[in-house]
Amino acid sequence: MKKSRREFLMKSGCALGMTALATQMEHFGLMSALAQKVQDDSSAPEGGDAYKAIVLIFWAGGNDGNNMVVPNHSSATISNYAAYNAVRGTQGLALAQASLLPISVPKMGGLSYGLHPSLGPGATGAINPGIHELWAQQKMAIVTNVGSLVRPMTKTQYQNGSIPKPYQLFSHSDQVTQNQTSVANTASFTGWGGRLSDRMNTVNNPSGLVPMVTSIAGAQLFTAGQITLPLAIADSNTSLANVLNPVGFTPVNAANTARRNAFNQLRTVDLGSNYVAAASHVTDLAMQANAQLQISQEVSPTFPNTSIGRQLKQVARLIKKRTDLNVNRQVFYCQMGGFDTHESQLTNHVNLFGQYSQAVRAFYDEMGVLGVQNDVTTFTMSDFGRTFAPASTGALVGTDHAWGNHMFVIGGSVLGGDFYGMNTSNGTPFPTLTVGASGPDDTDSSSGARGRWIPTTSVDQYAATIARWFGLPQDLPTVTSVFPNIGNFSSTNLGFLP
Amino acid sequence: MVKMRSHASLRIITASLAVCLFAINAFAQVDSDPNSPTPIILSAEGSANRAMAMSAAKSRRSGKAGAEDSFAPHSRVVLFIKNIDLLEDEGANAFRVYAQDSTGREYRFPVLGLRPATGEMMERGVYALTTLLRDEIGYAEPPAEGDVLIRVAWRGLTSDRLRIGYGTTGGNIKDDVQPYSTLMAGGGSKDQGDVPDANFVGYRWSGDRIRFLEQATFGPTSALDSRIRRIGLRTYLAEQFEAPFPSVSNPYPNFPLKSTDQNNTTTGCGMFTDGTLEQRICDRDHYSMYPVQKWHFTEAFYGEPQLRHRVTWALSQIWVISGFGGDTQQSRWMTEYHKILSANAFGNYRTLMGQMTRNPGMGNYLSMARSTKNNPNENYAREILQLFTTGLFMLNQDGTQQMSGGQPIATYDQNTVNSFTKVFTGFGFCETTGPNCPNRALGAPNYIDPLLLNQNNHDVTAKTLFNYPGAPNATIPAATNGNTEMEMALDNIFNHPNVGPFVSKLLIQHLVTSDPTPAYVARIAAVFNNNGLSVRGDLKAVIKAILLDPEARGDVKTDPNYGKLREPMQFVTNMARTFNVKAATAALPSDGVVAGLLSPLAQNPFNSPTVFNYYSPDFTIPGAGLLAPEFHIMTTSTSVARANVMNTLVFSRVNVSENAPNGTSLDFTEMTAIATADPTCNQLLDALNNKMMHGTMSAAMRTAILNAIIGPGPQPVIPANNPLLRAQQAVYLVATSSQFQIQR
Repeated sequence: MKKSRREFLMKSGCALGMTALATQMEHFGLMSALAQKVQDDSSAPEGGDAYKAIVLIFWAGGNDGNNMVVPNHSSATISNYAAYNAVRGTQGLALAQASLLPISVPKMGGLSYGLHPSLGPGATGAINPGIHELWAQQKMAIVTNVGSLVRPMTKTQYQNGSIPKPYQLFSHSDQVTQNQTSVANTASFTGWGGRLSDRMNTVNNPSGLVPMVTSIAGAQLFTAGQITLPLAIADSNTSLANVLNPVGFTPVNAANTARRNAFNQLRTVDLGSNYVAAASHVTDLAMQANAQLQISQEVSPTFPNTSIGRQLKQVARLIKKRTDLNVNRQVFYCQMGGFDTHESQLTNHVNLFGQYSQAVRAFYDEMGVLGVQNDVTTFTMSDFGRTFAPASTGALVGTDHAWGNHMFVIGGSVLGGDFYGMNTSNGTPFPTLTVGASGPDDTDSSSGARGRWIPTTSVDQYAATIARWFGLPQDLPTVTSVFPNIGNFSSTNLGFLP
Repeated sequence: MVKMRSHASLRIITASLAVCLFAINAFAQVDSDPNSPTPIILSAEGSANRAMAMSAAKSRRSGKAGAEDSFAPHSRVVLFIKNIDLLEDEGANAFRVYAQDSTGREYRFPVLGLRPATGEMMERGVYALTTLLRDEIGYAEPPAEGDVLIRVAWRGLTSDRLRIGYGTTGGNIKDDVQPYSTLMAGGGSKDQGDVPDANFVGYRWSGDRIRFLEQATFGPTSALDSRIRRIGLRTYLAEQFEAPFPSVSNPYPNFPLKSTDQNNTTTGCGMFTDGTLEQRICDRDHYSMYPVQKWHFTEAFYGEPQLRHRVTWALSQIWVISGFGGDTQQSRWMTEYHKILSANAFGNYRTLMGQMTRNPGMGNYLSMARSTKNNPNENYAREILQLFTTGLFMLNQDGTQQMSGGQPIATYDQNTVNSFTKVFTGFGFCETTGPNCPNRALGAPNYIDPLLLNQNNHDVTAKTLFNYPGAPNATIPAATNGNTEMEMALDNIFNHPNVGPFVSKLLIQHLVTSDPTPAYVARIAAVFNNNGLSVRGDLKAVIKAILLDPEARGDVKTDPNYGKLREPMQFVTNMARTFNVKAATAALPSDGVVAGLLSPLAQNPFNSPTVFNYYSPDFTIPGAGLLAPEFHIMTTSTSVARANVMNTLVFSRVNVSENAPNGTSLDFTEMTAIATADPTCNQLLDALNNKMMHGTMSAAMRTAILNAIIGPGPQPVIPANNPLLRAQQAVYLVATSSQFQIQR
């Protein structure tokens, strides 16, 4: 039984819908039988070890990490609040020091840093305390100065071109691609979430009834593998029972039944066209998942009624159904838009960080209710960081595209309460906030320099650390098959997850 | 039998049309047979299923072509093909070689050369095609060694498949049972009733007429089909190029500008009590994309200037601005932007670039309107290059990437972006008194008049722009006037050699096929570069060349990699026009309020999520590596939503509501009459095959649908006295099928 499932997945992934009608029908029958079994039997799913899920929240547009994690100290040895305020204050972009939510950072010698004020209990319309207090509880880590890299690079190397740069730095689409593929030197057709699934699905979800990867935010390169197609579903405004349900086949009568049969059968013929086959394959996947989602499960804590709140609520519903769906490993993709804050960044950040913090906290609490708090990790990615020197002034003040950026990792297993990442030239993981010729981490030395930090930690290292916890076998061929450039970096484990 | 026009005569026709427009009705052009022949791979002597092939090295030593059994991976192999009829200059990049291995994966081998075969073979019209046995898509692991089935595709037509040994021979690949070249041809009813006639001036290829209307309009109608049958493609195109726009009965929405403060009690919609009908309508008309959507769908459903609107819709997905997230806050902002696209759809690309760069809606969306020398903003500079003109990587004229050391070559770097950013500083909303800003309105930003330069805010330092051979204005000296600089910079971009292939390929993808051959792109780029009268950027010539290209034309395209997924817009409008869209119940036209149908399909019109459009032109099908932009928004979720939209349109309607005064429904009167006349429903299936699938419906598809109406049992599934339900059942099944959703 399990073997057929694997064969089906391999076949459907490889040959895109070459599945014959017989296989299809056998498959549906098999699915129902399996679902029946699972729902009758509360024992752990097949495939061995305990459940784990990773949830990517992609900040589309390029988040300004410089106003998310701010020096909250006056130490003279390292960029302090005054250094921050000197560059960002005049044009009105600096956050008031008193408003920052303090975090103590062991890696910075116990110095205080500050989170954006909307990441705590005071967020607009707050329904929970937000994520700030998870730092002290050591359930939240910050990975600093992360970005796309082909290999590690100093400012000198950046400027003299002695080391290859990621292609099209500072360009949205390309930097999104490089974050989602973890390939910075060339175009890649597959994302690292998809490739994780390619390597792990048949081993870890041998009888899974839905794909390992789910997107609540449409088609994304992150979710595509060579043989992995993701489940893509709408957010929690639609119940799981309706999220992939074709309408119009009720009442059950001869005409509707015959139409449904024909609707299904048409997807098994004329597959000679690769485009027809691809369309049919996506619909097949939807119909298979739909059969499994008819019994919805509601979740308990209140989620904020924001896009990210509804996305994470839908993720929580699927995680609650994990036993019915017979999955041991799941990868989720969620997305927030609006981070391309060329203008009006202050008001935009209040909304965006408030929404993020409230939704992620609700999700974290719900994972506790479901008993999987230690098994689920959320993490962020973004296109790139933003220029430390502002664009525009006053209410319109914003920032332009840059590079190195800070990321949040949250979950019961996270070794939180600290910064992680490779050291910058100042000997800590936090970049030196100096722009131009005297700034060791700025790409540019000219008078027009804006403060674009050269990342010291690569997307590959960040992602590989998460994949390692998720259970990706750590032999070199396997790791390299998911992260082809990982060999260019000294460390494949940044240590923020066990 | 088959007459192909030469490239030279194509140019002459283009040129003569440009000068003879007034005489066009008197001088209708006769359209020649659009069907290209189907290429044939020669089989090895004494073998029915193995290709005649030889290693390229041996071929150069003038060896006789024979039945070599296997070839090393990465080696060059010569195949022999015939039954092709080449345009002048049509060569290797018009062909694609695909191979399927025993795992079922399909690979593409690059075509390195094409030349007439020598000796006796030459007299038989045989060409030697050199290919490299290395997958050029690079999506999957290399092919499995053993026999692979190889085929040659040309102009959307595929040869049958024959074996060659990849690495070695044998393995468990199975020969095709049915000739591969006919798999996608369908049952076919093309040319039925269209008897050749020496005096025939129209266009008698019925399959191609429908295909043409799918490419050039928002969907075929019986009326247009008849008209093109009578007057031919070229005359229809000439008419379309001259058609007034928008339709007289459907002028552009013209709601005055309002304050950006929507709740303002004098200049916003706050003047009405919250929640009243007046306020809802004020918000809807002024502060949403509703009026533009309604206008657009009304034009798409009923408008005369179909081609202009179709091209405009394509351009609006290249030069994107969006109401999403309130970025383009007011309908009037979008209207003024849209007018520029419409006006230039058959104009010159350089003019479009200039007007769009100064459009205040664009200036707002990509921040240029607020970019100054002290606070420069890179947004517009970056996107005009990346998305609207040159793209990121240096291109050959056939649209393929130039490579260096195995890597693509960047078109520009951050320094170039910085320079263009400086050029585009100092242009703000037109807010001065006087003749420059006639549409300035107190209390509302001027989103109508073009952006106006304030030289004081303009960065006057020297700039280094693109430097390519023959580049105008590769540098701009310091202290130049901003208006002068902008024109210099736009000329510098416009003449970049990437623009022709970049824009041409995008337009082909929007209108015809997702993964065009390099030769097709090259033919169109050549027209972009020079319309025959030494004019660069003539979109009218470009559109005409795209639609009349032999890769676009023909009754049937059999290459499995030809075609495109109907984007939600085409999916819905094509159905609407095919089935005489009308009001929900009354005998009135539809009101065009159907945007709500497209939102769940991830294409809410004029509300693209980002400047990168609803989908990426570079998106490829997972597992296949085939370019398929529209598949970017074909997910498990939207695939079901597509079926559900068809359920609404076929079995129900968009009901009358506050915002939908007439509602929308499809009219199945004609289909019901056909189902009444023929209780076997064969004629119904014939009609749908012609209208929706231009004759390509397969026997298997036909049987599946008939089974859902008639069924195998003694009693029909749907009784003959319910012909409407029979028609609906059939239309739903065709409309929701992948076979229909792929336009090919």
